[in-house]
Order: sequence, then structure tokens, then C-alpha cells
Amino acid sequence: MKNYYVRRILSAILTLFIIATMTFFMMKLMPGGPFARERPIPPEILALIEEKYNLNDPIFVQYYKYMAGVVQLDFGNSYTDVGVDVTEQILLKFPISMRLGLYATILVVIIGIPLGIVSALKQSTWVDHAAMLVATIGVTIPSFVVAVVYISLVAGTLGWVDAFGLDKWTSYIGPVLALGAYSLSFVSRLTRSSMLEVLRQDYMRTARANGLSKFKVLYKHALKNALIPVVTYLGPMFAAIITGSFVVEQVFAIGGIGRYYVISVAARDYTMIMGITMFYAAIYIGMVLLVDMTYSWIDPRIRLGKSSGE
Amino acid sequence: MVNKMRDFKFIDSSKKMDKEQIRESLTYWKDVWRRLKKNTIAVIGLIGVIIVILFGVVGPMFSPYYFSDQITDFSYLTPSLDVFQITDTEDGDLENYFVHLNNDYRLFLISEDGHIIERLTRTRVDRSIWTYYYDYEGEEIAVDYSRRVGDEYTGDIDYTVTYEGVETLYPTKTVWNKTYLLGSDHLGRDILCRLMYGARISLTVAFVAAIVNLIIGVTYGSISGFKGGATDNLMMRIVDIINSIPLVIYVILLMVLLNKSNMWTIILALGTVYWVGMARLVRGQILSLKDLEFVLAARTLGVSQGRIISRHLIPNAIGPILVSLTMMIPTAIFTEAFLSFIGIGMSAPAASWGTMANEAISLLEKYPYQLLLPSLAIGITVLSFNFLGDGLRSALDPRLRKG
Repeated sequence: MKNYYVRRILSAILTLFIIATMTFFMMKLMPGGPFARERPIPPEILALIEEKYNLNDPIFVQYYKYMAGVVQLDFGNSYTDVGVDVTEQILLKFPISMRLGLYATILVVIIGIPLGIVSALKQSTWVDHAAMLVATIGVTIPSFVVAVVYISLVAGTLGWVDAFGLDKWTSYIGPVLALGAYSLSFVSRLTRSSMLEVLRQDYMRTARANGLSKFKVLYKHALKNALIPVVTYLGPMFAAIITGSFVVEQVFAIGGIGRYYVISVAARDYTMIMGITMFYAAIYIGMVLLVDMTYSWIDPRIRLGKSSGE
Repeated sequence: MVNKMRDFKFIDSSKKMDKEQIRESLTYWKDVWRRLKKNTIAVIGLIGVIIVILFGVVGPMFSPYYFSDQITDFSYLTPSLDVFQITDTEDGDLENYFVHLNNDYRLFLISEDGHIIERLTRTRVDRSIWTYYYDYEGEEIAVDYSRRVGDEYTGDIDYTVTYEGVETLYPTKTVWNKTYLLGSDHLGRDILCRLMYGARISLTVAFVAAIVNLIIGVTYGSISGFKGGATDNLMMRIVDIINSIPLVIYVILLMVLLNKSNMWTIILALGTVYWVGMARLVRGQILSLKDLEFVLAARTLGVSQGRIISRHLIPNAIGPILVSLTMMIPTAIFTEAFLSFIGIGMSAPAASWGTMANEAISLLEKYPYQLLLPSLAIGITVLSFNFLGDGLRSALDPRLRKG
């Protein structure tokens, strides 16, 4: 058991190391170099800049210096904004995206799961059809469309809330809705199919035959089992929501890390791109790791260490 | 020979078995097709897919425009136009002419049936009485906005059009825009035509990326699954590493690396990243198939490994592969739209649905249809492929067979 944990953590660290190496060399492969501008920089200044960013060193020395920084959570300075520290920027902008992602996840949990349960219990009735229609539409509409329609309708035509920024609590509604719509639909479909699967099991019939109350059968026996796949999906989903807020932040003009990433990409700010990518990877890997490690607690049928299929 | 003949006797032909009516044998694919046809939603999906393909492939041939054709004078025209009649009542001129004012205070001359003839030039503006003047063959057309700001504003009349002393309070009628069936954008490009070319781009990106994924994923997954052992372990570790960060981020990184924004770079970025899901799926299928007796039989007969994979294993796993392929297409369409939307996908003047949506955002309040149309196109396409994929999944799975 302990062995399994250690192995998983080590492999997560190895993965992060490989991703850091990959992004580093990808950025170095970039044609033109980071300081190729339309108006050429005077050679003396270019020399100074290159010295500041260690660009004159052999590539492996650069790599060593970069990785040494990464280990200390220092991603260096921005290439385009002079004097801006990448780590500082991430720490400054991440909480905003984190809060959005958290709210969106809460929305998914308190609406998506009950919706799936209800539609499984009322299978093939109009409730089920309506819920699944909404869920299907939710999976097929891109988040930018949800965002823009919300802005034009609720903020524009009706004028109920501010369209941009996050000044009031009401301004969270739109971004959270746009961010969570896809996952909400997906989770409610997943809950429904998992619930239907469980309801067909023999032990459900046994439980009913033993005279348990409807409530008990539903909550103690059906729900507990039906939610296992849903809960394991929620971990990576949370990470995906946090790291996938580019569009929503862009449309709603929210100064989170997603918008900053897009801006960095457009500006070819290589150190910033590398830093945020690494940060995203760390969150994602961390969440998957967390779910994997709590798996045996969530689903006692699975015994860690033996289930990894090797 | 003769001896043996004695053991048998001839029967008359009416009793022969071949006269019996036998049902036509049902092959696997015929059965799948039969079940797919029964599933209404899948059929709707299939029809949707066919329509979108026709729209993108055949549509542009019928369009009088090219996606980058722009007539700057004819920009910002909506699909339906409120028009005011301005016919000379004194002349013997029988042809009726109409004018249409768009949201940018441009006045257009419209024919009776809705063709746009020309944009009328604005000659002067009198701000003191809230009136704009336009020139029509030497005569002046006055557009008076004073009712919008005056005390008697009721919200009923937005502006009035005066021509030769006759003031028209309400639009004479509403006609459909025949020159631009779905309107024109901010540069005077035909939106319908751009949607068609957008369908072309989206479908090309989706299909080519899906096929690239199919080839890489199936090859990788089947080798990994078939070889097993250390090879499998190493290959799957690589997949795990790639899979450990959101794939969209790789695509963004690749787009930055390629430093060019066109259809082929998007396909390259998508194709080199999204195969990992397919590889995992195929590996799982191969693992469950490779120990079955027919593989053992093939092996015993001395069939080469490559041939076992390509002739025996993959055809047996084709169902899930096909479903995954159908589901890959909406993902690719989404990603392309997403990339173009945040500005690192297709660059202007290319008519991708994502680009169109991106361009329409700033015009949202005045011209919401410009955003609605590409969004609708994305929605319909993705929905169709999803329906078809879901239907295929249940049609291909014999366990779900009902009759």
C-alpha cells in the first residue's frame, strides 16, 4: 500500500520533470528567437538582454539553470514585460481562476448530480427526456457561445448584471455558468447511466425484498455505488475546469491566469508560457494523483497496488 | 463408385431443400445498419452530418461570392430589412424603390424584391434637428431621428424618412435580403458563403485530424497491446505522460512552436496530440483479443505478427474504433473553433466558424445574428456527430441487441 503511494508520487514527479524538459526544448526550438522584433534592437542592447536571460550560455547550461530554478519554483522573468516575475504573476492571478473553477465545480455537483439521479429514477418519462435534452445541448455548445449569449441577453438586453469583471457577486453567475455548462451536462449524463446500471443490479432487488424503505434502498445502496465513477471523474474535471478557463476569462474580461496565458501566447512570452504550462501540468497531475490515492477509500472493492494492471 | 451409388436414391426435385425460401444472410455490417436505421436519433444525426457535408462541399459552388470577397459599401446588412418606399408618385416611373437604414446610419437603395442596389451617400448632417441627409439621384432623402430624443418619444417611431416632401413614419414593409441571404459582416462579406467555407475548414480539420489520430493511435495501441511486457510498459508510460496535462495546452504550445496559423498547422497540432485516447482504447481491445483461440490458430499456422494485427485483431476491434473516431470529430471541431476564437487558430481572412464568432463578439449588441450563425453551425455539426456516434455505439455493441 505504502509502496504504491511512493511509486505514484515518484512517477508524478518524473512526469513533471519530463514535461518541464519538453517545454524547455520546445521553446528553444522556436524560430526567430524571443527578441526578433520588426524593429531590430541595437546589437549592444541585444547583447545585454541575452546576457540577462543567459541566452549566451550553451543550451545545456541554460537547461540546467532553468531546471534549477524550476525546482525552487522560480520560473524566471518574463521576456516581454521587463522586470515581471513569472512565479509572482502566477500566484497573483491564479486565485481568481481558482475561485471561478471552484464555484463552477460546486455548480456541477449540486445541479449535475441530482439532475442525473432524477432522470435515472424517472427513466423514459418527460422529466428524463427534458433533462437529457438539456444535457445533450450543454455538451454540444462551445463555452464561448454560452458566455456571449449570456452577456448579450442577461447583461445587454435585460441589463441585470455587469457583463465584465468580477466586482459584484452577481458578476460571477455568467462566467461560472459558461465554465461549468459542459461538465454539468457531462456529469449528469454520467450519473444517469451509472445510476441506471446500479438500479439493475441484483442486490438492489435483494435490498427491496428484505423490506428496506425506499429511501434507504436509494441512499444506502444505490447512490453510494452509483456515485463512484462520478466522484473519480470530478477530480480531473476540477483540474480541467481550472486550467480551461481561457475563453471564459477572455470573454468576460476577467484577469485570471487563463486570460494571462492567452495574452502570453499571443505575445510569445516564452518564459511565461513555460511557467504557466508547468503550473497547469502540476495542478492536473496533482488532482489525478489525489483521486487515484483516495480511490481505495472511495471504492473499497479496489485494493491499491494490485489494480494497476501490471 | 458404383457400389456407393447404391446407398443413395434419387428423389424428385420438388422435395429438394434448395426450393425452400431462405432468408438472406445477415452480415455483421448489414445488421449494424439495420439497427442504426431503427434508432431515430442516430438517423437524425446521420442526416445532419450529410447536410453539413453537402453544405461545405457543394454549397460554395452555388455561391456567387468567395469567402474573402468584400464590398465595404455593403457591410452590416441584416438578413431581413425594414424598408421605406420612396417612389416618385409624379413620374410615370412604375418601378418601386425602397430604402433601408442599417444600424450604422447607412442608407441603402433596395429593389422591390429585396436586392441591394447601392449605398446612398450621406451629404450632410444637421445635428440641431437630428436629421441626416442622403443623396438619391440629385434628390435629398432626409432621415429624421428627432422623435427618438424628443419629449414626445413613445418608443413607437424610431426615425422617419422624408423624400420629396412626403414623410414616411413607419417602414412600408419588411423584405428578405436577396443579395446576402444571411446578411453581410463588418467588411461586407456574405455570411452564408463564409459559413459554407467555414464548414469546409471545420470538416477538413476534423476529418484529417481524426484520420491522423486513427493511424497513429491504432498503430501505437496495437503494437503496445500485442507486444506486451516491457514494450507495452514503456509505450504506455509515454502515453501517460502525454495524457497528464490537458491536451489543449499541447495544442496551444504546438501552435506557438509552429509559429504559423493556418489549417494545416491546426491539423498537425491536433493530429499529433489527440491520438493518445485512441491508442489506449486500441491497446485495451487488443489485450482482450490476443489470447483468444483464433489468434492462437493464426499463430500456429505461421501468420506473421503484422498480419495477425492487421487482419485478425484490428477488424475485431473496429466497432469501438469507429465510435471513438466519430466522437473525435466533434472534439476536433470544438478545438479548432476554440483556437480560432482565442486568436491562435485560423487567421483572417480565412472563414473558420471560430474566427467568425470571434469577429462577431464586438458587434454583439448591434448584430447578434453574426455570432448566432457560426455558433449555430458549430452546435448543429457537433450535435449531429454526437448523435451518430451514440447511435453507432449501441448499434455496434451486440450486447445491446434487442431483436
